[in-house]
Amino acid sequence: MPIDRRAYVYLAAGFLAVIIAPGVIQTVAELRRGETPGALELFLRPPTARNLHAYEHGLEASSLVIQRLRPRMQYAEWRFLDDAGEKAVVGREGWLFYRPSVRYEVERPAIGPESDSSDPLPAIRSFRDQLQARGIRLLVVPVPNKESIYPELLTRRAQGLGVVVNEQTQHLLDELDRNGIEHVDLFQVFRRVKQDQGRTGTGRLYLARDTHWSPAGVHAAAASIARQVLAGGVLSRGDHAYSERSVVAQRAGDLVEMLRSASIKGSLLPESVVCSRVVQSDSGAPYEDRPDSEILILGDSFLRIYEHDVPGAAGLIAHLARELGRPLASIVNDGGGSTLVRQDLARRPALLSNKKLVIWEFAEREIRFGTEGWRIVRLARSASEFN
Amino acid sequence: MTFRVSRTILGGSLLAVVLISAACSPSASMGGGTPSSDPELARHGTIEVTAKLVEIPEGAIFERELYNYATVLKYQVIEVHRGSVRGQTIYVGHYNPFKPRADAADQLVPNIGGDLKTFREDQVERMSLDGSMLDEFSGAILNKYFEEDPDPIYWAVWTDLVSG
Amino acid sequence: MAWLSMVFTTYLFVFYFLPLVLASYHAVDHLSRRVGASSSGTCLALNALLVVASYLFYGWWNPWFILLMLGVTVVNYVCGRIIGQPGISRRLSFWVATFAVVVSLGTLGFFKYFMFLEINLNQALAWLGAGPVHVLEITLPIGISFYTFHALSYTLDVHHGTAPPVRSFLDFACYIALFPQLVAGPIIRYNTVADQLVSRTHTLEKFSSGVTLFILGFAKKILLANAMGRVADAAFGAQSLSAPDAWFGALAYTLQIYFDFSGYSDMAVGLGRMIGFEFLKNFDSPYKAENITDFWRRWHISLSTFLRDYLYIPLGGNRGGAVRTYFNLIVVMLLGGLWHGANWTFVAWGAYHGVLLAWERFQGKRSAYQRSPRPVRVAATFVLVVISWVLFRAATLHEAVTYLGAMLGQGGSGSGMLLIPALLYTRGTLVFMAVALLIVAWPTQAHDWSREITWPKAVVVHPLFCLSLMVMFSQSFNPFLYFQF
Repeated sequence: MPIDRRAYVYLAAGFLAVIIAPGVIQTVAELRRGETPGALELFLRPPTARNLHAYEHGLEASSLVIQRLRPRMQYAEWRFLDDAGEKAVVGREGWLFYRPSVRYEVERPAIGPESDSSDPLPAIRSFRDQLQARGIRLLVVPVPNKESIYPELLTRRAQGLGVVVNEQTQHLLDELDRNGIEHVDLFQVFRRVKQDQGRTGTGRLYLARDTHWSPAGVHAAAASIARQVLAGGVLSRGDHAYSERSVVAQRAGDLVEMLRSASIKGSLLPESVVCSRVVQSDSGAPYEDRPDSEILILGDSFLRIYEHDVPGAAGLIAHLARELGRPLASIVNDGGGSTLVRQDLARRPALLSNKKLVIWEFAEREIRFGTEGWRIVRLARSASEFN
Repeated sequence: MTFRVSRTILGGSLLAVVLISAACSPSASMGGGTPSSDPELARHGTIEVTAKLVEIPEGAIFERELYNYATVLKYQVIEVHRGSVRGQTIYVGHYNPFKPRADAADQLVPNIGGDLKTFREDQVERMSLDGSMLDEFSGAILNKYFEEDPDPIYWAVWTDLVSG
Repeated sequence: MAWLSMVFTTYLFVFYFLPLVLASYHAVDHLSRRVGASSSGTCLALNALLVVASYLFYGWWNPWFILLMLGVTVVNYVCGRIIGQPGISRRLSFWVATFAVVVSLGTLGFFKYFMFLEINLNQALAWLGAGPVHVLEITLPIGISFYTFHALSYTLDVHHGTAPPVRSFLDFACYIALFPQLVAGPIIRYNTVADQLVSRTHTLEKFSSGVTLFILGFAKKILLANAMGRVADAAFGAQSLSAPDAWFGALAYTLQIYFDFSGYSDMAVGLGRMIGFEFLKNFDSPYKAENITDFWRRWHISLSTFLRDYLYIPLGGNRGGAVRTYFNLIVVMLLGGLWHGANWTFVAWGAYHGVLLAWERFQGKRSAYQRSPRPVRVAATFVLVVISWVLFRAATLHEAVTYLGAMLGQGGSGSGMLLIPALLYTRGTLVFMAVALLIVAWPTQAHDWSREITWPKAVVVHPLFCLSLMVMFSQSFNPFLYFQF
C-alpha cells in the first residue's frame, strides 16, 4: 500500500479535532449561558486533592458531550451486547436484576468485619433491647433479594434451584434465632408460594424490571407478617374494616430508570401491575397511617412501592393494616433500612410513646451493603422523654 | 518528507487561547453572581443567612440512582439577613445534594432552587431556610452528624453561591 | 493505600490536559524556531514545559507527592553531576553512586515496603507471643517504583560511563517526570533517551504514528481490559467456583493484565511520539512465547532488561556456573516480584517464575517440552502463565491457593456457584474475550502497525477512537492495574 502524506494529515487533524471539540463546545455553551467556563474553576480554589478531584468530577458531570453521547452508547450496549451497565444485570425472559444484589449472592464476604458497623447483629440486638426496655416487641422482617427467589431467571444454570438462601443471610437468620430475636422468614413463605404458583395461578412475587416485589409478593408478605403478629398474643385483630379495590398501575421499573437512558426506557413497555388498593370499607377513602397506632412499621422502599408510589395505599403497610384490622404508623427511608430508618425514629421519639410492636423491614442485600452500615442507634433514654 | 507538525497544531492552540481569553473577560460573571440581588431568596423560607460550608463529611454527597435523599451539612454563619438561627454553627439539610440546585426540585420537593452547582467545602453560600427539616421533608435523610444530635436541622429552600 | 494521579483514559486528560499540552508544546516549538533559537535551546524550552505539565499530571490528586519526586530528582541530579566531573576518581564515583542508589532505594523501600515489614513483624511477634508494634500507616505515592528506577538508571549509566551526565537540571527533571511514562512505565533507560533530551525532531509522520499508537492503546484499555476486568473481579471475588468458571476467570485476568498494561505502554509510547520522543517497545506478543524464558523476553521488556542489566549481570549472571546461575535467576525474579508490590503473593509469583526459568535453564533443549511442536510449547507456556497470574491477582496467598484449588475442581459449593454465570458469561463478555484472543493471536502488533500510516489504517483508527471514547463515557469501571506498582 503506497504511503500518502494526506493520510498522516487526516489522522493528526482528525485526532486533534476530536480531543479539542468537547472542550470548545462546552466553553462556548457556558459562555452563551452567561456562565464562567467550568474549566476555569481550577483557578478559583486552592489546589488541594479534594478540590482537584471535585473539579475533575465537575467537568465530567457537566459535559454536554457526555450527556449527549452516554445514553446512546448505553442503548447500543444494551441492544447489541445485552449489557445493562454498571447497575443492572440482564437475566432471562426479559428480567433485570440489581447488580449489588447479584454481587451479594455470589461474592465472598470479607474475612472479619469490614468496619465497626458491618455486622447487623449488634445493631439489631441493641434495637431489640432498647425497645424491650420500653415494653415494645420487635419483629424483624428481612425481605429476600429477587435473585434469591428467582435464581433461574438470573441464569440458566440455576434452573430447578428453587429459592436460595445466601450463606450470610442464613447466618443472620440463625443468629436471630439464637439471640431470641423474633423474625419473619419470608424465604420460607415465598418458597411455598412459588411452589404453589403453578397450582394457584398466583403471579410472580417480584417485578421483572424492578428490584421490588409484585402485588403478589406484598400480599404474601403481609399475610405471613400478620399471622405472626397475631400469633404473638400481644395484639389482637382490630376492628377497622378495610376492603380492596383493584387498580392497574404502570411501572417502567426502577432498574430501567436507573439506566438513565431514554432510548432504553422507550424500547421497553411499562409493566402493567394489577394492585389491590386498600380502602376504608365505610367511606371508600384510601388507607391512611395513624401515628398514634400501637404498631409502628419501619423500612425501606419495599414499604414505599405501591404505598406512596402509584397507585397509593396498595403497599405492604396498607395490606398489613388490612390483615390486622387496624391502621399503622410508619417510617419509610428509601435504601436506608439498615441504619437510616432507625435514626429517623430516634429523631421522632414521640412516635414510640404508645407502641406495643415495632416491625422492622429491610432488604436482604442491606445485610452487606446497608447505607451507613449497621450502626447502633440510641433511642431516647426514658419514656418520659418521649413527651 | 519533514512537514512540521507544529504549524498544524498552532491553529488549535490559538483557538484555545482566544476561548480562554474570552472566558476570562469581565462580561462573564462568576457562578454566584450577586446573590443578594436574587429575589428568590427573599421569596422562600423563613430565615435567610450567608454562611460558610465548613465541611462535607466523607460519603455525605453521592449520586444515588434509585432514590431521593437529603443530606445534612454543617455551616458557620457569617450574617443573618432575615429571621434568626440558633448559634453560629448551624446544620442544614439539602435535598438531592449531588444535583445543581437549579435541577434539584421534583414532584416530592417542588420549591427548592438556587444557582449553586456543586457543594464544596469552604464555599460561602446565601440560603433561605425553613426552621426544621423534619417538618418539611419526610424522605430519606443521610445525617453524618447524627451522633452530635444537631437540633434544629434547618431545611435549605434556596441556595445561591456567594464565593468559593 | 495508593494515591492516583491523572489517568490517560479520563475526560480530563483526553479533552483538557492533552490538547492544552500539545498546543502549548508545539506553539513553543514553533515560536522558538521562529526567533532563531538553536535546536538544543528549543529542546530545553520544551523540556521546561514538559516538566511543568508532568508535575501537574503527577500532582493532580495529591500535590504534596511532587516534593518527594523532586527530592529524588535533585539527589540523583547532584550525584550525577559529581560523578560526571572530569578526572573524578573511580572510588569517589563509586561512593557517590552508592549514595544515590541508597537514597533512591531507601525512599522506595520506605514508602512501598515499610508497612509490609511492620505487619509481618507483628505477625512474627504474635507467633512468639509478644505484643505488636504500632503500625505506621504510609500512603504509597503512585509511580514511585518507576521514577526511582529511572533515577537509578541515570546514576548507574553515568557511573558506568555508558551515558554522559545530563546538561541541565531541566533535562533531568524532564527525564524523570515525563508524564507519558511517569506512573506506569515503560521504564525508560537514561541511555536510550539521553540524546532525545537534547535534540529531537517533530514530524507529522512521527506525530501521526504516535496518535495511532495512542488510540490503539486507548482502545485496548477501554474496550478489552475493562471488559475482562469485570469478569476477573467477579471470578476472584466469588464465594465458590466450578473449575471451568475458575479457568474462565483466570483467562479473563490474563487478558485484562495484558491489554491493560500493554495498552498503557502503547499510549505512553504514542504520547512520546507526539512530543518527539521514541521509546522502546515494551511488549512483543508475550502470549506467543514458546517457554518462560521467551516470555520474559516479550513481557514488560523494559523491566526485564533493567533487572538483567542492573541486577542479574552484577550478581554474576551465568558466569558463575550452573548452580549460581539458577540462584541468580531465582533471586532476580523474587526481587522482580517484590518490585510489583509489598505482598507475599508477588513474592510467590516471582519465585514461581524464577523456578521455571531455572528449570528451563537446567533442562536446556533436552526436555520433551522443548522438543514438542511449537503450538504445544506455546500452549503449555500460556497455561503456566495463566496459573502465575492467579498468584499475581489474588489479594492474599490463601486466596491464591483457594483459587488454584477451584481451578482443580475444589471450588467449594453453594448457591453462588450456580448464580455466577450471570456475571461471567454475558454476551458482551464473550464477544470482547473473542476479540481479545484474536488480537493476542494476530501476527502484527500495535507498536509496529502504527509505524506507517496508510489510508485504510487512517480510516479505521478514528472510528475506533470515537467508539472507545463513547464506551469510556458509559463506564465507571476504569482501573489501571499497573498504577499500584
